This record gives sequence, C-alpha cells and structure tokens, in this order.
Amino acid sequence: MTTKQTLDVFQVIADPSRRQMLQLLSNESMTINSLADNFDMSRPAVSKHIKIMYNAGFISITDIGRERYCTLKQDGFNELQDFINYFDKFWTSKLKKLEAILNSKIKEK
Amino acid sequence: MQKEITQTWFFRQSPPEVWEYLTKPELIEQWLMKSDFKPIVGHKFRFTFTPKADSKYDGEVRCEVLEVTPYTKLSYSWNGTADKGDRTFNSTVVWTLIPKESGTELRLQHNGFAVLEDVLNHSSGWNSCVKRFEELINAITVK
Repeated sequence: MTTKQTLDVFQVIADPSRRQMLQLLSNESMTINSLADNFDMSRPAVSKHIKIMYNAGFISITDIGRERYCTLKQDGFNELQDFINYFDKFWTSKLKKLEAILNSKIKEK
Repeated sequence: MQKEITQTWFFRQSPPEVWEYLTKPELIEQWLMKSDFKPIVGHKFRFTFTPKADSKYDGEVRCEVLEVTPYTKLSYSWNGTADKGDRTFNSTVVWTLIPKESGTELRLQHNGFAVLEDVLNHSSGWNSCVKRFEELINAITVK
C-alpha cells in the first residue's frame, strides 16, 4: 500500500468486490478482519480495496484498540450524484436547443 | 437516489429527419457540440467544447460508436475527465427514435452509471449505520 490509489468514483465501484464491501458496510460498520471473512481473498487484498474506497471518500476508518473499523461515508456517493445531476441538466439544455431548431424549421415550411 | 438519466422528447419531424440531427456533424454542432462523428460502429470520435471558466470539465468528451440502427437506435460511449484530469467518467449514451403518427419520440438514456445500481439501492441505511457505529464506540469506551 505504498502507492496512493487515486481511482475515480466510477472506477471504485466498477469492481464487484468493492461493491459487495460497500453493501456489507451499509448494514453495519465492520472491522477489516470481519469484512475479510466474507471474501475469498487475502487480508492485504481486502486492505487494498479498503484503501481505494477510503481515498475516494466512500468510507471512513476509525482505529479502536487494535481494530480498524470501516464505516460508509457520504462523500463518494455525493460525487456520483453530482455527475448524474450535471449531465441530466446538460442534456435538458442541449435538447431544448434541438427542439428550438426543429420547431423553427417547421415554421419556415 | 437517481441512478441514470432518461429523457423523452417529442419532435414533429419524421425519424429520418431527427436522425440527421443525431448523425451529421454539421447538424450535431448546432445543438450539441463540435465533433468528428461518423455513423460507423467502432468509429472513435470526440466532442469538443470550450469549458466555462468555472467548469470542472476539460472541454473534451471521447467517444466510440457502439450501435447504429438507422432511424431507430444510436449509441456511443461517453468518456471524459473533470477536475483537471483527477476525475474521469465512463458512461454510455443511447438514442432511441420511436415513430409516432405526428412525429418522432426521441429517448435519451445516459447510463453506465448503471453500475451504481446495487450500491445506491443500499445507500439509504446510512443514518442507522452511523448510529450503530456510535453505539459501538460508546460501548467500547464504557468498558
């Protein structure tokens, strides 16, 4: 985990294991160890996924004693929502323009 | 939480007339953006625009034609970057033209965003999970 993972929010959730981790965390906060119990992969591999989701703002990590607890965080999800909202507005404004062009063509006829 | 973009518009032109505005670069540019689009599956092209000063987006969308069914369906990938290359987005745009008696219904779907679905379906449980986490911390500190 020496290299900093800077995947974007879409790349983060494109991975099925990470999506499954987020789903598990949506039920409850979990330690990395207990999360790892649900997957057929090494604990370092799980940690790597956690790190990626942490960097993208999907989870927060709290150390309690010797355990690291993972909790869902809103930021990553908000960013996804921002993208969708942005493009929804984008298309509305573009298609309005198309509508205006096509309407004016009818009037010309 | 919204998972994909779907818009339905109605135009009084026939599907072939509307199709022209989706597939001819000089017509696309009138309402959407400059591009070197060609209606050929596998053709890679770009939409370019001048981003506003405060825009997060970098003025270019990279695309590849995925499906061309004349007058009926057109689809291309829609990939770009924002925040000076820090953020990328990979999505798909699908246009469907449905002939109607007095014109054409044009449907736009912008997804690929679809990959989010199973995550977003589970996103409602946050408040309760945060509460549970607080309880957990409290329980541990009490000991």
